[in-house]
Amino acid sequence: MHEIGVREVVQFLGLTFNWETLKMTWLAMAIVILIAVIATRRLSLEPKGAQLVIESIIEFLHEQIGNTMGKRGMFYAPLIVTLFLFILVSNLIGLIPTLASPTNDLNTTLGLALMVVIMVHFLGLYYKGSHYIAHFFQPFKVFFFINLVDEIAKPITLSFRLFGNILAGEILIIILLQLAKWWVIPSVAWLAFSIFVGVVQALIFTMLTMAYLGNSVKDEHES
Amino acid sequence: MIDINSTLIAQILNFLVLVVILRAVAYKPIVKVIEAREKKIKETLDQADMDRRAAENILAENKAKLAAAGKKAEDIIEKAEKAARDARDASIEATKREIEQMKKAAAEEIERDRLKMTESLKSEVVALSMAAAGKIIEKNLSEKDNESIVKSFIDKLDSKKLGDL
Repeated sequence: MHEIGVREVVQFLGLTFNWETLKMTWLAMAIVILIAVIATRRLSLEPKGAQLVIESIIEFLHEQIGNTMGKRGMFYAPLIVTLFLFILVSNLIGLIPTLASPTNDLNTTLGLALMVVIMVHFLGLYYKGSHYIAHFFQPFKVFFFINLVDEIAKPITLSFRLFGNILAGEILIIILLQLAKWWVIPSVAWLAFSIFVGVVQALIFTMLTMAYLGNSVKDEHES
Repeated sequence: MIDINSTLIAQILNFLVLVVILRAVAYKPIVKVIEAREKKIKETLDQADMDRRAAENILAENKAKLAAAGKKAEDIIEKAEKAARDARDASIEATKREIEQMKKAAAEEIERDRLKMTESLKSEVVALSMAAAGKIIEKNLSEKDNESIVKSFIDKLDSKKLGDL
């Protein structure tokens, strides 16, 4: 992304696509799949290397899923694990020169957030039925509007947080290089911080997704 | 910069495809491995528990056996000591008897020697007396007279003095 805010678009079947975002998404997907293949190439009971890393991530997320989503949540574990790995890799590839993060495009983050929110409502209705609709009117009927704002805010905050963090990070990398070509320390420092931000944002997105899904998936009788 | 277009739908589809692929390629095998490892750990722990219990049983058994063996050893030693004591007593008894016998034999021999000596002394004394008497009298009596005189003299001596020899 060298010209900030300008996106190369392609037309396909009368639809408009951001070509660079799609390319970078596929690259991120390829990297995630490559990591997965490397990690699972020689599975052993005594893990080491890539297998250990992926196993640690999966076990950490499993624990979080168990806490927020209960037993039913385990079915959605692959989705959560994929969400985390995909966003993490997407955030980090943007730090490599000439590449860009798929997550610097609102289409990606809003797409993921909408998918999550649609799942939340769909699964809420599926698991809890009328109880789920009733909970929008709790504790009083007028609270429906507040709850509505809450529900609308969910995808917006979820998507804009990630989008804003990553886009700002990439813009700042370019700006710092432009501002101080003779002095690389701010750029390097910001790059290091961007790695941290990329990890944290991936974690936040995943955690919030778990929490939202937990509301509708978790069995209330389960302690 | 924040133009929403069909990319949004494409990204959702991309992501769902990735979920499906990852689930098949990585998630399921890894979860299987994790479960296998948990099962193995549990089995190993159970096995270790069982082994420890078995070891404790064997230890108790061994202790009992050792105690029994110690008792048996004590008995054997006691028996051996008793046998040794008996043997020693018997040997002392035998030695005493032997000594007694030897003493007796020695006493008998002394007695025999004394008699022999008395006999030889008697004949010596006779010869001496005869020579002495011959010289005193300076006249030889008949052989027969001599002998009777000396004999009566010695007989007197015998009863008075030689008895103490």
